[in-house]
Amino acid sequence: MKTRKGKVNTPAMILLILGLSTIAFPLYMTIVIAFKQPSEMTNSISGILSLPQNWSLDNFREAMRVTDFWHSLGNSLVITVCTVVLAVLIHSLMGFALGRSKAGNKFYGFVYLFIVSGMFVPFAILMMPLAKQTAEMHLANWVGVVLLYVVFYMPMNVMLYAGYLVNVPLALEEAATVDGATTWRTYWKIVFPIMKPMHATVAIITALAVWNDVMTPLVIMAGSGQNTLPLAQLNFQTQFGTNYNLAFASYLLSLIPVLIFYLICQKQILNGMVNGAVK
Amino acid sequence: MMKPKSPKRRLLALCCAAAILAPVLTGCAAHDDGKIQIELVQYKPEAAIYFDMVEEAFNATHDSIHLTISSPNDATTILKTRFIREDYPDIIGIGGDINYSYFVDAGILADISDYPGLKDINQGYLDIEESLELVPTDGTYGVPYVANAAGILYNKDMFDAHGWKIPETWNELLTLCDEIKAQGILPFYFGFKDTWTCLAPWNAMAVALSPADTTKRVNRGETTFAVEYRTLSEKYLQLLPYGQNDPFAYGYNDACTAFARGESAMYTIGSYAAPQILSVNPDMNLDSFVMPACDDASGNVLNSGIDLLFAVTESCRNKEAAYEVLDFLLDDENLQQYIDAQTAIPCKEGDFTLPSILDGMRYYISEGLMLDYQDHYYPSEMAVDAQLQTYLIQKDTNAFLSKFDTDWLRYNRDIIRLVQDYEAAHAGK
Amino acid sequence: MKNERKRTFLLITLPILALFICFNTVPLLRGVYYSFTNFKGFGRYNWVGLRNYIDLFSDARVGKSYWFTFKLAIVTTIVVNVISLILALALNSKIRAKSFFRGAYFLPNILGSLVVGYIFNYFFTYILPAFGRIVGIEALQSSLLSSPSAAWIGIMIVCAWQAIAMNTIIYISGLQTVPEDVYEAGDIDGATGWKKFLHLTFPLIIPFFSINMVLSVKNFLMVFDQIMALTKGGPAQSTESISYLIYNNGMSGGQFGFQSANAVVFFIMIVVISVAQLKFSGKKEEQL
Repeated sequence: MKTRKGKVNTPAMILLILGLSTIAFPLYMTIVIAFKQPSEMTNSISGILSLPQNWSLDNFREAMRVTDFWHSLGNSLVITVCTVVLAVLIHSLMGFALGRSKAGNKFYGFVYLFIVSGMFVPFAILMMPLAKQTAEMHLANWVGVVLLYVVFYMPMNVMLYAGYLVNVPLALEEAATVDGATTWRTYWKIVFPIMKPMHATVAIITALAVWNDVMTPLVIMAGSGQNTLPLAQLNFQTQFGTNYNLAFASYLLSLIPVLIFYLICQKQILNGMVNGAVK
Repeated sequence: MMKPKSPKRRLLALCCAAAILAPVLTGCAAHDDGKIQIELVQYKPEAAIYFDMVEEAFNATHDSIHLTISSPNDATTILKTRFIREDYPDIIGIGGDINYSYFVDAGILADISDYPGLKDINQGYLDIEESLELVPTDGTYGVPYVANAAGILYNKDMFDAHGWKIPETWNELLTLCDEIKAQGILPFYFGFKDTWTCLAPWNAMAVALSPADTTKRVNRGETTFAVEYRTLSEKYLQLLPYGQNDPFAYGYNDACTAFARGESAMYTIGSYAAPQILSVNPDMNLDSFVMPACDDASGNVLNSGIDLLFAVTESCRNKEAAYEVLDFLLDDENLQQYIDAQTAIPCKEGDFTLPSILDGMRYYISEGLMLDYQDHYYPSEMAVDAQLQTYLIQKDTNAFLSKFDTDWLRYNRDIIRLVQDYEAAHAGK
Repeated sequence: MKNERKRTFLLITLPILALFICFNTVPLLRGVYYSFTNFKGFGRYNWVGLRNYIDLFSDARVGKSYWFTFKLAIVTTIVVNVISLILALALNSKIRAKSFFRGAYFLPNILGSLVVGYIFNYFFTYILPAFGRIVGIEALQSSLLSSPSAAWIGIMIVCAWQAIAMNTIIYISGLQTVPEDVYEAGDIDGATGWKKFLHLTFPLIIPFFSINMVLSVKNFLMVFDQIMALTKGGPAQSTESISYLIYNNGMSGGQFGFQSANAVVFFIMIVVISVAQLKFSGKKEEQL
């Protein structure tokens, strides 16, 4: 009974299964509505929860056509992948530099707070100036959007990396330094791999935020003729009419890549520390 | 610098691959073939199919001009951000509301009074457009394309089955509502959770109960809303008992669905709601009538405003080409297609077939008995829609009107100053 | 050796800091400039001095939005952190179908706000009142979202429902830094589990706790999507958040200058709060 393998935490299981209903119900509704026709929509509870008259994939096909799915998906993927890669590389470096030196040094302490404060700038105040600035710098395109994301999510990610490093003992780096390695080399050889669970966390949080974001591409890429998936999905709702059935089908489609990415990252979060052999 | 270790290298490779792939994915064909480029951005994404058709048909028939039309969602935000980076489309299609007033005032739109097509436009709509200008100008800055109308939509089959008659005065409307209620049917289904729907009955009643230039007269300091809007506010409250319980729990979409499913006999909304209602119940027999807000049938006016107008921007380099695009859009056949698809009212004079749901309003349209939506003069940041919702919940007429007056002066401070300067400068003339 | 480390840190920090200043600080300063004008977002504008700031402090609507936003942020932060900590512990314990559960609990975070808005509107408008009628609870029989005094609770529920996933992920990755033996010790005996958590596990994940607190406070103080999806500021303007006003009146409306002033004041306020929060938890970390 005391062996690690056999024991299942029963209270935790019960809790998780109960909690699942708060997710299963909305998900059920999303799926059912995604398969229905507009003429099947009613205001009665039994009507909305009933199964669709037929399980045809027409809504999904039509949603893909309206959003120019593959094209928009491609744009979204490019922006998300570039942002995540740059975030993991740049933000972890910055988190390392600041996290390791902010305690004893006024300058780095200030830089850390300065960057973290950037998190609290309401986007609405930056929107107009950024629209102008990116146009002046010829960045009114997806490259500009990626650059902006790298800056927008820097505060949060630097905070996450710096927080993670608190629990990573300095001794490892010191040992490497004694062996004659430069700080740069030590970082890539030792610190960067150790932070793997945090890379996965940062990747998933950043990817999710970027994947769903509407405002930045709307403002920066306006008039470029290019759409990301969330931008294309705006087409389903207008003030005077919303086609929920197509919209739901489209959201279900766009949910899949993130879910897969999350499940991959999740494994990294779990395996990270165990294999990292820190202690 | 040391060589990157494998995880980093893999990431870099990924990044490079993405960077190489991206232009392929996002690359757009360049139209650098010596043609004149005209770009049109219009704000009605629901009409995107029509505009795609126009784009294709125009380009197929014009050798020297290439037209690009985009129908983005949230076009107002897109236009504003493009204006700030001084990247102006050649033609913009927007509504006849306060944004148009602002754009004219900002000098973004070009004077197109030399456009020959203007002579075919219904004078009533040109007047409405003129009065949208913050201070009077000599020019004309847009071509009214289509209009919409608001009043009461009703379930024709239900009316026929019970032998109900279309009311022509306020008292007849209330009597009808009592009668419908007595039959166990709900007269109105409101969607007041979406605050903008609170404006629909308000606007429809305002045209008959308050002068069209109320806001302008308030700006000139000649009157107050407490005076002009009192009857209107009081009458609005009388409609509430004929709606469902707790109308603030239900949105526009709920109301459309409920009305389409026969849960109410009438819906106080504009013609623009027809596509949504018919999507739920395509077989519904839908008709409309003018809001009978007056105690005297002859005082009733149809609430109609410009839904879409086209304006050429000041920075458009080839006005002639832009005019050709306008000509094409105003072509009778094309316009008729738009009317059919969007249940709209043409602003152009001519022999057009109006959508059947406007049957009940036909007389007013043909006689030109129309006045603009009052909310086209309200600044959106004042949130009159939300104030109306508050009023309908709290039912305190005095508090509502006095807040309306004080807020108006606050939110319109700069406009009022502009108007006063103009008045002062033109006092002698 | 020490100098080499210092130089490397400086070489890393400076270029990244420059990028940050270019796309965050510079546009912010432009925004601050606009806050002294009556700029509408396009066209001409005039310098109006401190008018916007003076207006801000006399505007009842703005005051109300601050009260609403802070109330919502504080309550939601507490709810979210309690639930996601419990959830993280449960998901990190020995359970069956771990990947399935972790995937499922992540879903609320990826459903688009149009979907979330529709489903919860439906839930609050039709399902919850029907449930209230069956059970006979008076308070539940009308929609939560149509009552000016209760609508914020509806928004709180949806914010929490969506945010729990992200906070849970951060807690889970925090729990990975807890050495196996400590973690196992807290896991073995159910009876003293709570004590072990409090004295063994929790102190080790305090950095993650403070990160989550800061992120939650920040996210909920800037709440916007959920407001747009659920109430659009209604009923009776009772759920207008600060970000809602800044965006709606500044971007969609013609109050860009005034709302920039609002954004500046709001920004300064959260920075002060968060820096205080970080300094406080930083001290706690050092004590351990």
